[in-house]
Amino acid sequence: MSSKPKVAFFDFAGCEGDQLQIINLEEKLLDVLSQVEIVSFREAMKEHSDKYDIAFVEGSITRKSDEERLKKIRSQAKVLVALGSCATIGGINSLKNAWPSLEEVKKRVYGDKAHYFETYPSRGIDRVVKVDHYIHGCPIHREEFLRVFKALIMGVKPYLPDYPVCVECKRKGNICVFEKGQFCLGPVTRAGCDSRCVSAGSHCWGCRGLIDDPNVNAEKEVLAKYGLTVDDILSRFRIYDDYRYEEIKE
Amino acid sequence: MANNSIYKPELAELVRIEQLTEYEKLFEIALANGRESLGHLPGQFVEVSVLGVGEAPISVSSSPTRGKNFELVVRKVGNVTKVLHELRTGDQVGIRGPFGTHFPLEEAEGKDLLFVAGGIGLIPLRSFIQYVLDNRHKYGRVIIFYGCKTLPEQLFLDELKKWRRREDVELVETLDNPCRQWKGNVGVITTCFPKVKIDPENTICTVVGPPVMYKFCLIEARAQGIPDDNIYLSLERRMKCGVGKCGHCQINHIYVCQDGPVFKYSDIRGLEEAI
Amino acid sequence: MEVRVLIKSQLSSLIDRIIEHVPVVGVKQKEGKYVYAKLDQGKEFCPDFDVTVQSPKEFIFPPRETLFDFTLGKDMQLNPHYSKDTLVIWGVHPYDIKAINILDAIFRDTHQDKHYLMRRENTFIVGIDPLRASEKSFWSSMEADKVDKGFDFILTDLGDEYIITIGTQKGRDMLDKHGVSNLASETQIKARDRVREKQKDLCLSNRKLNFPLKMLPYLLMKGEINKLWKEKAEKCFSCGSCNLVCPTCYCFDVQDEVDITLTRGERYRVWDGCLLENFALVATGENFRGEKYQRYRHRFYRKGLYLKKKYGQFACVGCGRCATACLPDIADPVDIFNTLFNSLKGVLIHG
Repeated sequence: MSSKPKVAFFDFAGCEGDQLQIINLEEKLLDVLSQVEIVSFREAMKEHSDKYDIAFVEGSITRKSDEERLKKIRSQAKVLVALGSCATIGGINSLKNAWPSLEEVKKRVYGDKAHYFETYPSRGIDRVVKVDHYIHGCPIHREEFLRVFKALIMGVKPYLPDYPVCVECKRKGNICVFEKGQFCLGPVTRAGCDSRCVSAGSHCWGCRGLIDDPNVNAEKEVLAKYGLTVDDILSRFRIYDDYRYEEIKE
Repeated sequence: MANNSIYKPELAELVRIEQLTEYEKLFEIALANGRESLGHLPGQFVEVSVLGVGEAPISVSSSPTRGKNFELVVRKVGNVTKVLHELRTGDQVGIRGPFGTHFPLEEAEGKDLLFVAGGIGLIPLRSFIQYVLDNRHKYGRVIIFYGCKTLPEQLFLDELKKWRRREDVELVETLDNPCRQWKGNVGVITTCFPKVKIDPENTICTVVGPPVMYKFCLIEARAQGIPDDNIYLSLERRMKCGVGKCGHCQINHIYVCQDGPVFKYSDIRGLEEAI
Repeated sequence: MEVRVLIKSQLSSLIDRIIEHVPVVGVKQKEGKYVYAKLDQGKEFCPDFDVTVQSPKEFIFPPRETLFDFTLGKDMQLNPHYSKDTLVIWGVHPYDIKAINILDAIFRDTHQDKHYLMRRENTFIVGIDPLRASEKSFWSSMEADKVDKGFDFILTDLGDEYIITIGTQKGRDMLDKHGVSNLASETQIKARDRVREKQKDLCLSNRKLNFPLKMLPYLLMKGEINKLWKEKAEKCFSCGSCNLVCPTCYCFDVQDEVDITLTRGERYRVWDGCLLENFALVATGENFRGEKYQRYRHRFYRKGLYLKKKYGQFACVGCGRCATACLPDIADPVDIFNTLFNSLKGVLIHG
């Protein structure tokens, strides 16, 4: 048996953009590969093995039948890492959850073939199995993947910020999105992305999910001050993190 | 300007490692080059680096009277201590320090000493106890209260044995949750106070333990009539730099890494967030 | 202090000449705000700014700074990093200079921080007396409307010319080197003093402490009642923005990062903030300021009492950046300190 940890990548409902980010590590990917043995990575190779230590799982769970496959992965893996927003918090797939009926959603997507497909509200994989570590983001931040990856091969707990994006924005010297008269989910969203979107001129969309103790009431108040209606605010909260939002909105 | 970085540790070698309990290991450390000894006083702490993982403040557990190496006893709780526990004899760690204030070695001379140790509170207190036992003639009575939750949590079993046997040491041990073979006291550490008659005015009481313990021990010590000026305690806080810069250990205007960790109770009495 | 004079129209060419020798960051416009950024040309400099988004702190105390690098394995090597780069910061208002003086005191104290001090030594501070104050500024109340040290030289706008007050030999040398040698006349110096006297009126009339500044520590000592702190902290995001835009906040976290080969790495520090939830959390799980109001309270006490006790200076210079940055609008020191004063007026008079 090789002493290198065996690593596998899996995906559920999602665009596989997070695995693509890993392939996009380019020359650093070679260093990553030299530390571990990749036994399954559909995005990049044909071979597959069910013997692995670390499983990275991308994508959300959006139908009952996916649960079994995920549980099997969990039972094989010593360490299970949720990779990207869909896996960590349900992700953009959660948009459908806000529709009045999922039957309608199916019809919208599959038309007269809808009855061939099953669906249920999109959720992060931790709604189904225990998750050891999270790499948030839509897509994931390559540097953060490397940080978590290194921590795992060193056998330590990866660092995950529990403060909002504002911290990284301020360290970068960004002009606050609110000061420009726009809205932002930064004050309640978990940092770790290096405030990518705001630094690039946009606002925070909340793709990394809410921090552990978000002050949602204050955020609502602030957003309202900037002229957003309750519906606007709700829809912004729900783009990526419908489940968590449903829980904390009371 | 300072010659060197205050954040750069010096290398030191783990020369002996001993598993004390399920979660605690003892590390005997020799400074790799340069200094002959750490030069610490009981109560002070060092910043221990496991390079690549991080740094953690750890109190020195041995007395400077016990030779040029020093001992740290470390509970496995976070990343740094986890990896530290995986190291082997001969491995290197980084050391900065010693930092902070020390126990009242001189003020206590000629007086009776009451040590109140809750759980891992014995780790720093052991340094003071060893120092006092190595200078036994300078001090009056030596009374030690040592409380643990369960028997397997007891630290320094060999030393406890010796202390139990010594006539000039009064050791009162207690367990919150005793097992069958336990013949000593049962109950939280405050239940030790009534077991020993003390001369409060002439007693220096040093309390070290988990944060929740202080409030109750202080009530008890004061009820015994020990003046606030005679009570010392060692506070734990988050520390990153150890040198009064990073701000994490601040309690009001006090920096625990500089003004503590050992405080005279009368100096921090009434301080918001302190106890 | 020696005082020189420069015709206003020559300022940008002076900056141009300096840029040829050493990098200059100065105040520039960005999206309707002012920021410090690298100047490529002297004419980019905006002399009439009200306040910058971030203070110039980031250039002497960077948001992320490597303390040392190391190799792992048998023969470990540790190699401290000290910046040797020279930098000119062009256009620093007196309150921000005062903030730098406070940082100097902190990093020089007892255990000297060579990382900070090296950078500080290699930095030229070119001050400028303000022409405008931002909406949230209250630096007059914090006695930071003018400074007499902490700059290498400082410019005062007299309309047609800049009066240049020299603060250090380093500053004098730079002016000599670039041909700024005309001495200011007595009349010009008097005019400068008149301008400076008026600076304190630039802050808006509603941006004032309603009590003498020296009373602030007493107010805080009397005001430990937690009602105000609890009430306000209800709205706190724990986002640390008030800390992170503050020119005198200097708390930092320290972390290690190894490279992907796991054979070497570095230890760096990064700006932290006492308002962040886990700032006082220890490995055993105890959070010594776990409640929002405790963290919220701590910042005001640090600004108005704790650091005053330790270093003899208030750790607030009245720049108003925290008040601007705080979205729920609870971070404004003027509001809090005046509220405290009003609630304690009676106590103070009778006590």
